[in-house]
Formats: sequence, structure tokens, C-alpha cells
Amino acid sequence: MSRGGPKALRCFLRGLALSLSKPYLAVALWLIQLMLAAALILPVGNQMHSMLDRSPAGEKMVAVPNYGWWETARREHPDVLGNFPELATGLLSTEGIRWSELPGLLGVGATAFSLAILAIVLHAFALGGTLGTLREPSSSLVTFGREGMRRMPAFLVFTLAAWGAAFAAYQWIYVGSGVALRARVKDLHTEQAALVVTGLRLLALALALSVIKLLADSVRTVWVARPDLPPVSRFLFGIGGAVARPLRLFGILGMYSVTTLALYLAWLVIDPSAGGEARLALGPLIAAQQVFVFVRLLIKIGYYAGISEALTRAPSPEYSYVAGAASPSDAQATGA
Amino acid sequence: MSAAKVRVLALALCAGAAAVRVLPETFPPPPVASYQITCRLDADKKALEANEVLTWKNTTSRPAAALRFHLYLNAFRNTLSTFWRESGGEHRDGTLPDSFGAIEITRMTGPDGADLLPGLRFISPDDGNPNDRTVAEVGLPRPVQPGETISVALDFAARLPRVSVRTGYKDDFFMVVQWFPKVGVLEEKGWNCHQFHASSEFFSDFGNYDVSIDVPARYKGKVGATGQRVEERETSAGRILYRFRQQGVHDFAWTADPSYLVLEDTFREAGLGDVRLFLYLQPEHADQAERYFGAAKAALSGYGRVLGLYPYPTLSIVDPPWGAHGAGGMEYPTLITGGTAWSDPRSVLRPEGVTVHEAGHQFFYGLLASNEFEEAWLDEGFNTYMCDRVLKAVYGANHVDLDVFGLHFPLGIDIHYPVDANRRYFAVADWDVLASESWKFRGRSSYSGQIYSKTALTLASLERLLGTPTMDRALRLYADRWRFRHPTTKDFIAAVNDTVGADWSWFFDRTFFSSGIVDYAVAEAESKPAKPPQGLFEKDGKLSEGAPADLAKARGYDSVVTVVRRGDVAMPVDILLRFDGDHVYRTHWDGEARWKRLRVRAGPRLIEAVVDPDEKILLDVDRTNNGLRPEPDLRAATRWTARAVFWVQNMIDFMTVAW
Repeated sequence: MSRGGPKALRCFLRGLALSLSKPYLAVALWLIQLMLAAALILPVGNQMHSMLDRSPAGEKMVAVPNYGWWETARREHPDVLGNFPELATGLLSTEGIRWSELPGLLGVGATAFSLAILAIVLHAFALGGTLGTLREPSSSLVTFGREGMRRMPAFLVFTLAAWGAAFAAYQWIYVGSGVALRARVKDLHTEQAALVVTGLRLLALALALSVIKLLADSVRTVWVARPDLPPVSRFLFGIGGAVARPLRLFGILGMYSVTTLALYLAWLVIDPSAGGEARLALGPLIAAQQVFVFVRLLIKIGYYAGISEALTRAPSPEYSYVAGAASPSDAQATGA
Repeated sequence: MSAAKVRVLALALCAGAAAVRVLPETFPPPPVASYQITCRLDADKKALEANEVLTWKNTTSRPAAALRFHLYLNAFRNTLSTFWRESGGEHRDGTLPDSFGAIEITRMTGPDGADLLPGLRFISPDDGNPNDRTVAEVGLPRPVQPGETISVALDFAARLPRVSVRTGYKDDFFMVVQWFPKVGVLEEKGWNCHQFHASSEFFSDFGNYDVSIDVPARYKGKVGATGQRVEERETSAGRILYRFRQQGVHDFAWTADPSYLVLEDTFREAGLGDVRLFLYLQPEHADQAERYFGAAKAALSGYGRVLGLYPYPTLSIVDPPWGAHGAGGMEYPTLITGGTAWSDPRSVLRPEGVTVHEAGHQFFYGLLASNEFEEAWLDEGFNTYMCDRVLKAVYGANHVDLDVFGLHFPLGIDIHYPVDANRRYFAVADWDVLASESWKFRGRSSYSGQIYSKTALTLASLERLLGTPTMDRALRLYADRWRFRHPTTKDFIAAVNDTVGADWSWFFDRTFFSSGIVDYAVAEAESKPAKPPQGLFEKDGKLSEGAPADLAKARGYDSVVTVVRRGDVAMPVDILLRFDGDHVYRTHWDGEARWKRLRVRAGPRLIEAVVDPDEKILLDVDRTNNGLRPEPDLRAATRWTARAVFWVQNMIDFMTVAW
């Protein structure tokens, strides 16, 4: 271990261990996400039942995604699906989202927009609860709720600020560069060269978003860990913590991203949703989907615990948590 | 003779037959408008200087006192042109670049050497736009009499735009199309010479072309054009001249790009002759060469078997470079432009779909030279129908791909021909009458939805109603009657009527000449256990309460099915009722009334009722409602709902994990 403190891998692994020791945190997040998703999908699901349950077309749709049917559903029921698919497609395009379509959101698109705002609020609550609970050696869902509500005003501000910064980065770095380079990209000799340009734009965006995320997570972590400090100091300590340990934090973020990507890759390769009835019956399929979500949430909480480990391994006066393995050099390095 | 020897001989005979091009007696057709052009490309200035000799024959019964010319390049002259106004600055390749092009006639002399240029004036027969210079009229010193042929010599200078709509340049790449002064079509009712519109293509007479193209030497071996190359020679230091000739065509296009990989292959099929295929390919698409050649061969074979021999000895395929997609997906006599992307997955039939379609235009446009301005469905729509048939037969279904930041990923979701492939029709089903002039549609989406897709679905429906052999005979009759001529919609209807031996005009009145939609649905399908009869029954000669014992025990199910016509347009449809025990009842309904009810008493339990069960009427805008089952099956909707919830959970997590 270097003088700089626990290495990123060690922090990440400790974080995962901590996450596994408090599985109710993942359960709480899973329930929140499930409820949000269900609220969004319920009108679509009901519409699908109304169109398919008594139609012979339904039988063909059990296993195979009938493209023609989806097109029909979108066309016949703009009130349900609205222009959400276009917005989602725009997000993945080289040009970016067409924001002019936002005020015209209909159906599930409009619901998605309002639920996204609700998700931000719930996210602030859940993150406060998670980080607070992770620092308690003996904790429960009660701690989660208490800590969540206690940190919510500040965390909501951090989340909104981080979202604002992320939006600005997307707009100025990715969309802005796309608009500025549109004609030049067409002048390039090959599509491959154009893809390199797009790749560089994406890389710049990913870098900016990573910095924003790490700064926000660092501030949140210190905010929870050092309640003894005044708010401005906590904020500055948070920024300072990220600036002082950029490689370690980037390392944890990188490991988290790679682990999550590997999980998705495994899902896509195993592909339990494909093959319809032949692969997995409905019950086991839904169970497999939810287990996947749960595992991913365990990793997510592991990431936050890892960041917390990297920044604040020493206990704050408020908590009874004493890190047995903390060395003097760690304490010195973290400024605790 | 042994079986092996017989087989070898048979193969040899086939090969011998294939090696000889058995051209129809009509080839080449009598020329009406022939051109001899010599042009010089200034690759740096993106400009052409050329001289042209037009030999034109008056084939009408009236004298012609004037000639009318298309000057298509003037569509790109400025933002006041009709094309620019109609397009709103948006076209095939997105926003039109601030790059303009123009053509100017600098000399024009008549057959006796008379200077015709002073009499040249620009006219706008379609919209009266005084700023549009895409059609010019020039008076003649004396009228051209019926059957008389004249020659007109002219010089012209052209400036090419940055390619965005078919023609122009990108760096050293040149796609030179609609580039020379081209005479209109004189009909009995007068000149048919429309302006260049945003949503229309072209129309001209057949003739013989002899074109010499002088280019810088760096284009050596990298020039492709309509017809056969007959000459290659150096003209001066650093320049080289290519000469191409082709009889019996009605346009001429050429291309040049030093980057091209020029590849050659041969299409050979007994009865359809040999065709040399030239592929002008971008290096980054080198691994797609076989896909291009395969698609071109599939088209020549698939179309040729139904519509007859492709009569020309060559077909050139041009693969435009990155940033010049506006030049792609176009057809010219014996030369087509493709369209693909470096990252296109193999399961997504992009180069195949574009190539089959454009090669198919050699028949619907090239040989059957209908008026693309006034009846665009006769080339684009008919071609889409045939293209769908060929693609389905050769490749099966196409596949959905997801464009993620410019990279294409296959999703493994089938796009079936022809319905899914023409789904854009359904969104604009009642926006316009299909049989409208190209520039009179509500918008480009309606133009393409009607002209391409509605026509294709209409013809595919007709094929299912008539049967494929009858449809093929009708198409062949139409193709044989009108090869190298200008057919109209009524000529195709006549070919159908003559083939079927009945008047099918009603079908075209309700499709080509209507904006009405087709939508049949099963509104009611119920099956309940039959109840024993109640009331007064005769027993021993007296009326008494209660059914006799033999009737008192109810048997089977009483079923009722109601089929409704929701759309404006009526079509004949079948109705199928499927019962327990694989019992099937099928009936035919003329579809004229608004609804039809079927009742089955004391029969087996109804499983499902389906209207148009064989999916013959492909214009039906909503097939989900074409069937109904008394008993619901929740599996599909539940499975897709669960899947949607799962992916939304992931999206929420991505959104919240980030910040």
C-alpha cells in the first residue's frame, strides 16, 4: 500500500464487502426504482394488454418482437407512447437530443419527464440514507430513512447542481462541438475518421461527466463524514478530497464502470429475455431480471462505499464507527 | 451417352446460350433525342465546359415551332429557385450546403447555322416562379415538321455544387448527373418539360449517346459512365479523355474519383444474357464488394425473369464517399449509385436494399420510361414492389439496427417484406391521393409514403388477390407492350384487365386514385355454452312449458362474430373462424357493407375469428385488430411489460448513478 492510502482496488473491494454486509440498502434502492419504473410502464402495459390479450397477433409476440406491431402501436396510440422513442434515439445520435421536441412530450414521454424529476428528489434522499448508513457499524432501514431525510436538503442541492453541470457539459461539449463540426465532419475523407471525431467528443464528455460525478460524490461523502465542520468547510473539504486523490477516485469509478459493463455484457450474452418461452418461462424470467437489477445495485452501493473508504476512513465524531484496519498513514493522507 | 456426358453437354449448351445476348427485336429503339457531347472537367474549379449536338425528331403529328430544354443544374443557382423554395433548404443529405451550381448556354445554333441564342428565354410552366431557370424555351426559325429530324449545336458551361442532391462534387469525387441541356418530351398536347422540383425526378425520350469526358490524368481508370467505354487517350499534358457510347437510353451520367477501387464481375444467367458489372467502390467499403455485386445480380435475375431481359451490356455501380451520401441511391441508364456505411452490420441489408432498388430502376424508369414528374408511382412504387419481392426471396427479412453515436449495431429484430419495409405509408395513409403530381404532395414524408410504399403495398395486395402467376403475366404484358416507351397508369390497368379478362379498374380507383384507408377489424368474438331452449313447445299435440327431452339438453357453444369495416375503402376479404378440434369455417365477404355478423349455434367452442387471415390486403392500417379471441392470453403483454419495466429500471439507475 502506498503512502497515499488504500489503493483504488482495495477501496472498491472494501466497498463491495460493506455493501454486501448491508443488503437492505440495495433492497431499498431496488424498491424505489421498481416503483418508478412500474408507474411509468403501467399505462403502456395496460395498452399492450388491451391490444394483444385477445388478438391472435399476441401469440406471435410472446417470444419475438414484432417490429410491425410496435410500429402500429406507436402510430395508433400516440397518446400512450408519444414521442419518447424519438427523444431516446436523439440521445444516442451524433447530433444529440432535439430539445425542441421536449415541450411537445406526450404520453409516456411526458410521464417519464416528470418521473425523472421525482427520481432526482428520491435519488438525493436515497444517497443521503446510503452514505449515512454505510458509516454506521450497526444500522438498519431506520438509519437509512433518518439519514436520508436529514441529508436531503443539501443532497438535493448537490444533485441538482451536478445535473446542471452534466447538462451543461452535454450541451456545450458534445452537442456544441457536434454543431460546430457538422460541416467539417462531412468534409472528412472517410466515415472512420468521422467516427474518430465523434469518439473524441464522447471521450471529452465522459471525462467531464466523470469529473462532475467524482466532485459531487466527494462533497456528499465528506458532507456525511464531517458533520462537525461548518457547511462551507465541508463543501470545500469535499472538493479538496477529490482534487487531492484524483487517481484513486478515478480508479474506483473505473472499476465500478468495468464491473457494471461486465454485468451487462454477461446479461446480453446469456440473454435470458430472448427465445421466449423456450429459454425461460415468465416467472423465472422476471425473477432473473430483478436479480440482475439487485446485483447491479449492490455494486452501485459498493462504489459509494468505496469512495467513502477512499476519502474518509477515519470516523467522524458523530458516529461510533471505528475502522480497525486504518493505519496512521491513511489518517494523515485523508486529513482526518 | 452417359448421364455425366449429358450433364456436361447441357451445361455447355446453357453456357453457350448465356454467352449470346438475345436482344429483343425492338433494341435499339428508334432514337428521338440523341446527344453527342464533349466536355472538359476543371477539377479544381469544379466546373465543366462542353459542346453538345442534339439530334431531335418530332414524333408527334404537329409541327414544333420551339424547343424546350431542361437546365436542371440551375435548381442549385440560388435560394430563389423552385427546388430550393420547395425543399426549404433540407433534402436527401440533410441541410443543403451553401454551395451553388448553375448551367449557362453560351452558344446555340440551329440546323442551318442560325443563331438561336437570342431567342432563348426561361419559363416556369409549373409554378410561374420568375426566378427559376430550370426550363428554357427557344424559338426555331421554322417549325420542325412531323417526322422531321433536326440538329442543334450548343456550347455550355456548368458549375457544380457541393453534392447534396444527386449531383456535384466532394473533394475529388464527382457525380455529374442532370448536367447538360436536355430537350423535353414533345407530346401531342405540347411540350412536357417540367421544372426541377424538390420531390420529383425526370422524364425524357430515348436516344443514342456519345459522350467524351476530358479529365485530369489523376483520374486515369477511375471514370465511370452510362454505357460502354470505347476510347481512352491522352489529350494533352496531364489530361486524359474517356469516350462512352450507349444506344437506346434516355439520360447520361458519369462519375470520377481518384480513390475508387474499380472492380468488375459478370452477371450470367440462361435467357437473361451476360452483363458486365463495374463497381466503383470506396476503399473503406472494400469488404462490401461482394454484397454490391450479389445484390446487382439478384436484381438483374429477379427483375429479368418477370419483366424480360436487361438489354444493355453493362451496369455500373457507384459507391459515393463519406459526406456525399446525397449522391447515393439514384438511378441512371446503365449506372446506379449505391449507399452503405462502413459500420453497417451484415444483417442490415443497406447496400443490398439500395442496390437492388436502384438496379431495379433499370426496368421501371430505364426501360419503362414513365413520366416521373407526373406519375412517379409507376417507377418508384412499382420498383419498390419488385425490389421487396427480390429482397425477400434472396435475403429473407431485413433487420433493425441501432445507431449509437454513428455506429450501427444489429438488434436481431426482423423487418419483414413488404409490410414492415413499407410502414411509412401507414403514418400518412390519408394525407394525399397517390395519383398526384410529384410536387403537389403535402410533404416529403407523404410523397415517399404514398409514391413508394402505398404503391408497393397496393401491388403486393393485388398480387395476393390475383395470384403470383397472374400478377407476373400482367407485369410481363405491361413490360413487353411498353418497353422503350412512355407508359401511363391506364396502360398498366389495361395490362391487368387484359391478363385477368375482367375489369379491375375498381381496385385502382380505390387505391391509386383514392386517399381512403383500409381497416378491417373483428369487433366481437364470443362463444358461450349453448342454453337449452325455453318457452312453449308442442307435446302430444298441445302447447306446454318446457322443451322436449331431446332438445332440453343443450349441446356445444353458441358463437357470434362481428366483423367491421372501419376504413373508407372496401376490399374483398376472407373471414376465418377457428373452433375447438381444429374445425375451421371460412367465408368470403365482399367487404362493402360496414359490418358483417356470423352466428354459429350449438357448435364447437370458438377459438378465434380472423378477418383477412392470409394477409392479402396489405394496405390494412391496423392488423392487430384483424383477429379476436374469446379467451384472453396474457403472456405477450405481460412479458413485454416486464421487459419494459426491467429496462426502465436500468435507465433510472443509469440516470441516478451518474450524478
